[in-house]
Parts: sequence; structure tokens; C-alpha cells
Amino acid sequence: MSTECHLSPEVFTTKDYRSSLKPIWCPGCGDFGVVTAIYRAFAAIKRPPHEIAFISGIGCSSRIPGYTTAYGFNTVHGRALPIAQGIKMANPELLVLVAGGDGDGFSIGGGHVPHAVRRNSDLTYIVMDNQIYGLTKGQLSPTSPRGKKTASSLYGSMEDPVNPLLYVLAYGAGFVAQGVPADMDGLSKIIEEAIRFPGFAFVNVQSPCITYGDPDTQLKTQRARMRKLEAEGHDPSNRIRAMELAQEYGQTLYTGVFYRNPTPAPTYESQIRERQEELQGEPSALEQMLRKNSATG
Amino acid sequence: MVDDLIIGMAGSGGDGIVSAGESLIGAAAAEGYFAILTKSFGSQIRGGESSCRLRVSAGPVLNPGGLLDVAVVLNWEDFLRFGGELPVGPDTIVIYETKTGVPPDQIPLGGVTPAVAVAVPMEAMAMKAAGTLQAKNNIVLGLLAGWFGLPRESILKGIRKKFARKGEAVLQGNERSFAAGLEYADQNPLGVERHLSPPAPTEVGKVLTDGNEMCGAAALFAGCKFFGGYPITPASEIMQYLGREIWKHGGSLLQAEDEIAGIAAAVGASFAGIKAMTATSGPGLSLKTEVLGLASVAELPLVCVDVQRGGPSTGMPTKREQADLFAAAFSAHGDTVRPVLAPISVADTFGVTVEAFNIAEYYQTPVLVLSDQELAQRKEIVPSIDTAQFKLVERLEPTGKELDPYIRFRFTESGISPLSHPGMKGGNYLAAGIEHNELGAPTANGEIHARMNDKRLKKMDPLKLRRDLFVIEGDADATIGLISWGSVAGVVIEALQMARAEGIKVRLLVPKLLYPVAEEIYQEFFAPLQRCLVVEQSHQGQLYRIIRMWASVPPEYTVLAKSGSNPIAPEEVLEKIRTMAQPRFAPASSTSQS
Repeated sequence: MSTECHLSPEVFTTKDYRSSLKPIWCPGCGDFGVVTAIYRAFAAIKRPPHEIAFISGIGCSSRIPGYTTAYGFNTVHGRALPIAQGIKMANPELLVLVAGGDGDGFSIGGGHVPHAVRRNSDLTYIVMDNQIYGLTKGQLSPTSPRGKKTASSLYGSMEDPVNPLLYVLAYGAGFVAQGVPADMDGLSKIIEEAIRFPGFAFVNVQSPCITYGDPDTQLKTQRARMRKLEAEGHDPSNRIRAMELAQEYGQTLYTGVFYRNPTPAPTYESQIRERQEELQGEPSALEQMLRKNSATG
Repeated sequence: MVDDLIIGMAGSGGDGIVSAGESLIGAAAAEGYFAILTKSFGSQIRGGESSCRLRVSAGPVLNPGGLLDVAVVLNWEDFLRFGGELPVGPDTIVIYETKTGVPPDQIPLGGVTPAVAVAVPMEAMAMKAAGTLQAKNNIVLGLLAGWFGLPRESILKGIRKKFARKGEAVLQGNERSFAAGLEYADQNPLGVERHLSPPAPTEVGKVLTDGNEMCGAAALFAGCKFFGGYPITPASEIMQYLGREIWKHGGSLLQAEDEIAGIAAAVGASFAGIKAMTATSGPGLSLKTEVLGLASVAELPLVCVDVQRGGPSTGMPTKREQADLFAAAFSAHGDTVRPVLAPISVADTFGVTVEAFNIAEYYQTPVLVLSDQELAQRKEIVPSIDTAQFKLVERLEPTGKELDPYIRFRFTESGISPLSHPGMKGGNYLAAGIEHNELGAPTANGEIHARMNDKRLKKMDPLKLRRDLFVIEGDADATIGLISWGSVAGVVIEALQMARAEGIKVRLLVPKLLYPVAEEIYQEFFAPLQRCLVVEQSHQGQLYRIIRMWASVPPEYTVLAKSGSNPIAPEEVLEKIRTMAQPRFAPASSTSQS
């Protein structure tokens, strides 16, 4: 499945993907950078907005589809991935992008991630990871570090956080990357590459919460903290090394592609197409139930 | 000669008693009879007690029937475990295994003396004919064919087909067993003549099927191109049928990681522009409710089948109950109306499922289909489907003019706004569970919320005038009435016929649209009535109560409500009708329980 525009000769720029809705995000929120990076990735790929379905769950970051001109679906908490899989199965020609927060993806919706990955549904999944529940005003999230004091953990968290990068690598995803809004060029390229990857692609974005997040995670600190995997000499085809680096989640802020399968597996949707073609025209059980000379639907 | 025969059989899991029932209904189908086969098991996966009841008739059959005409008992312990599911009466012929050691005048039926009780050495006959106890069920088939005139040739053909691949020795052993049963019956007449009369000749072909298969077939006919679901008893066969068939029709199926993902994927597929479906049973419906609410507010078509079983919680997965009506109508938070339909027979499951798709697509709403364990899993011989009677409805898409600009949730007179889908140029919009304005932009404005609620609720109003979704039978001038729904309706229809044959004037209403409550139709039905009885398979009488929320009921409005798996027999309903028909009828308490 080509992600390139092949139906329309029109030229698209970032502003063609920007909707007129004003984001509800607080000034200084990392999500502004994420949506800008998405506009840039769309413009680079040149798919017309009506061929893009952008699906999200619930949370601050899940408002994001409404800020694009694509078909958007701001669904319920935690269910964006299965809804997106239904969309992609129904129409594999669409570019299907999924986004949400760390709570949406790794807490309430955590059960769906391994299954979307193992099916290798051809989706791009962007998680805006801020280690906090912002929309509900500052409770513990699944990626909050141990000891974190929040509205719901006054004396400090007694839990270890989820490691989204390591989880998704272990589930078997063919593409796993991390970006930061402070590095707009890097983030746009990562998202573009994730969209172009044939199969399930995961991008964890460290997108800090200006209101409830720690001061030392904010955007202005990111450039100094980030370490580009490319500059570190990491070979993204090395999955085991990627998992070693991913273990440093929460300590070292790596950006770039952790893992890209050099020989991507067949996507779920391509297998569906094959099965449909293989079985088309086979005798149907429905026909045997219908009265002779009945029309079939 | 009799033109209707109800046979009940029970044994241990390995006795092949259900398989014998399947052989009989297969033979009945080949001969042109009508029949219903219901199976009932203990909750063990393999082994344990198992039973079936077969009602075979020269004409159409409405329900599995009440008291047995014939009871086949391989051992008493297993038979008695089924209690009221296999009721024996004074007219029943009881055939039981000699080895049980029970004298015919001491059979353990709690004081009921059957017309005939005959001990047959079935095990010994199987050992002699085939050298294995496994052939016992073919002895039973031979006995039944001999004593009740069931079609020998077709049964034998079925046996041959079934054992053809098992080798010559096995095949011959089973054939000899069948012959031994026949011979025994011929040599030991019962003294009571109960031969089944031949089937009425008909031009129309017949199909042996069940409700789950009908449901899947109807989805394909309606143009369903996506199914998302999760295995659950007694609904899994819908997914299994579609998992085999939907690809041939250009569709696809997702066995999801859980019930929520199943319905979520179906909502996604619908958003993407195709007809989509999910199917489940009670516990799954509980899990799916949030996404049902999403489909309501995003105004996306979706069919959700709930094959009801005993609840609450895990309840009784293999038993019939009609206790999910409240959940179907009212679960999911917020002000919403979600149409709920219920088929009344296996054959009707086809039409009701097609109608569910039509309503979902037309009104852009999730639609619940309440099937139940009995309809879903009973085997039934039904006339082949005449598709000329069905019209398919497609969702309203925006015209070119309506795309410039496109206003997804535009306030229209009908409340229905044209629906685009990804891929449609100019139709781009934001769908959301969040309240939204006409354009789809999120809002927390109370006035817009009220108008949107109004739009989403009012668009469903015309449904309440759909008289074709209500069956009305009986005497228009009757002052006593009956209401029933789902698989129990077939029982009540038969009771109505029995009562009218006795000269009692009575009228019956069977709603296939359960929700929204069609006030006008009920009001018209109730107008001439003094007394009305609602018959349903739930402890509270859920339809009985829901009707009262919207309609004014007759002076004496009562319910015959029984918890799941407790049989409701036509004779029992008839008895209620007789009581209601008595001139000085004293109202009973408003609910009666088994």
C-alpha cells in the first residue's frame, strides 16, 4: 500500500492540514509541537486530507484530530486502536493515524496495544507521553515515575511506571521511535517515517505538561537532555540493542528510531485482501438458504 | 395417526442422544416435515448429562412444545436433572433402559403415571448388534422409527452418511443396531397408536438451520461487510458462520482481543462507510455499552446482536432467558434512544436482522437485536427464504451541494443528516463522543446540547409507528389480551390458538420492536381490553414494566414471568387464559413467579 498521494494532482502545504479550531491546550503544552509536526509530515507525504482518518481516545492530547482537516474521530477513552483497526480493515486505502496520551494508551487502553501490534495493522500510533493525567487535573499516570506526588498520590507513587518503548518493542512492533516537540525537524521526520512504514508504527513523544508536569521535563529542557540515536551510532535494524536502549526510558531522553524492521512483515490488511481474493466466488452458504429465483443482496 | 410429536431424550454425554436428535431432524427435513430440535446440556465442556427435544410435525411448528409425547431415558439420574425441560404427563410414552432396574410401575416421576412405560434392553441390544455401547443411539432411532412411524429410509440414509468414513465394520454395526431397534418395536407393539402422519405437500423448499446461522446469513444478505466480536456462549456461532462466509462476500472479520475491541472495530468500520455488526451475549453487552453510547452520539449505524442467556453476570450461559431488555434499552449513560428489536422464531431472525441493518443505516444509530439462547441454538426446519419480501436501506450520503460546505450534524426536519465517510472528498468532519455543534466541533454549550439531544431522540419517532414490526392475532372484539416477545411468543401464539379453539375470545400482540415503546400501537391494542397478560422469560417481567412506563394499561394488567430455563408451556398459558376468561375474574398479584 503506497502512502503517497496517487489520486490527486494537488499540492498540499502544512496549512491545508490545519483546521480552524483553536486548541484547548495550555500555552506552553508540548502537544502544539506534535500537531505542527503532524502537519509537516502530512505535507511531506502529500495525501489529501480526505484520504486521512485521524483517530484518538480521550485526554488533552486526544483532541488533536479536530485540529487537522483530516477525517477525525475523537472516540472514547482507551479504544482508539480497535476503532482505527476497523477503519483500516474497512478501507485499506486510507492513511490511518492514531493518537492519544499515555493514560489512554497504556492504562485504560493498554490491553489493545499488543493486539494491534501482533496483527501488524498498518497504523501509525503516536502517544503524547507527559507522565500525568492533565485533563482531569493532575493525577498519577501509568508512566509517572515511582515516588511521584500528584493529586491522587499525595505521599508519592508506590508503583513502577510502564515503559512504553520497551513494551511495544517486546510486543513485536516493526517500527518504534521517540521524539520531542523541542526538536521539530526531528519529530516531523520521525512521524513521516512512521507513516511511511508498512505496518504498525509506534512513536512515543515526550510531550511535557506545562501545568502539572515537573519543571525539569519542560520543552526548554529537552534540547539539552535529548540524545539522538543516530548520533549515538545506533543501528535501527538491531532489535536487541534497541531494547537495551529502551530500558533507559525515564533516565536518558533518546530521540530517533529505536527499531525499524528491515524486512517488514505483511500487514493485516494485505492478508485480508488476499483472503478475500482467494475466497471470492466460492459457493456461499447464504445462497443455499434462499428460495430459488430470489434476488440476492 | 398424529400430526405432531414431541420427543424428549436424555442420557450421559457419551450416549449420543443429541446426535440421535440431529439424525431425526435431518431425516424429517429430507421428508418435508417441519421440526424444532432443542438441545440442553449440563455446563460441562464434555461429558455430563445431555438431552434434546424434538418436535416434528406435518405442518409449521411454533415452539418446542410442552409435555412430552415420548420420553427416552437412557438413565434416570441424567433424565431427572433436566426437570421441567423434559416434562412427562399422563399421555407420555416413556421408553427407558432396562439396565436401570426400575420396574415400570415404580418409575421415579414424582407421582405422574405415564400412558405407557416400557423398559428396553438398549445397551444389551447395542452390544449384540454392534459390539459397542456407542451404537445405543441407533437402537433408539430404530425404536422410535418403528413405534412412531418416523421415516426409516431417511434415517438410515443419515446413518450411512454419518458413518460412511468410519469404515465398513463401524457402518454395518450401526446399521444393524438401527435394524435391531426397528425389529424390537415391530415385535413389541406399544398398544397405543401414535404414528406420525405424512407431511403436507408443498412447493417451497425447506432449510434446516438455527437462529445464529439465520442471523449471520441475514447480515450477509443485508450487505454487512464487517464483523467484530469475541467468543461467547451462546453467540459464538454467528462469528463462526461469518468467519467462514463473509470473505466470499468481500467483507472481513476481526476476532478481537475483547468485547469492547469487537464493537469498537465495528464502529470504526461503520465510520469508514460500510455496514458493520457485532454479536455477543449478556456479559459482553455489559462491556460494550460505552461504545454503544459513542455510536449513538456520533450517529453511526451499527447492529449489535445480544443472544440472551441466563444472567446476571456469568449466570447460566447455556440456558434461555429474556432478562437483557432493560440493559438493551437503558444501559449506556446519558439521554439516548437505541432501537431494540427481537425476532420471534428462527425463520424470523432473518427478517429482523435485515430490518436491524435497515433501521441502523437509515436512522444512523446502533440497533440492538435481542435473540436468545433457544432461538439461536435450536435447530429448525424452516421454509427457504423468499428475499422478495425484503428491501435494503442504505445510509443517506451528502449530495455535491451538501458538501459545499459539509455540515455533518446539520439540524434537519427529520433529524437525519447526510453522512459522509473517509475517502469522500469534501466530506471531512470530526466525529466525536464529545457533544458537538452542527459542524462537529466540540462544545459544552447547554443550548446546543439540548438541541442535539432533541435531534438524536426525535429522529427515532417514526419507528414507533412501524406497525409491520408488531404481530397482532386473534379476535378484534376480545376483552382479554396477551403480550409476548422473542422465543416465548411462539408458545403464546399456540396457546392463543388453543384458547380460540375452545371458543374463548382473546387477542395477542407480539412486538418485534421493543424499544422505543410504541405508545400508540399499545394504546390501540389496550383500548378494548379489560385484562391483559404479558408472558416472558425473566424474573421481573421486563417488557411488562417497560410498557407501563409509556402506555396506559388495562384495568387488570398482569404478568406470567419466569426466570430463565424454566419452561413456559402452551398448556400453562392456556390455563391462564381460561382463568382470565372467567366472568368473575379476581386479579392475582401483579407478578407471578414459578
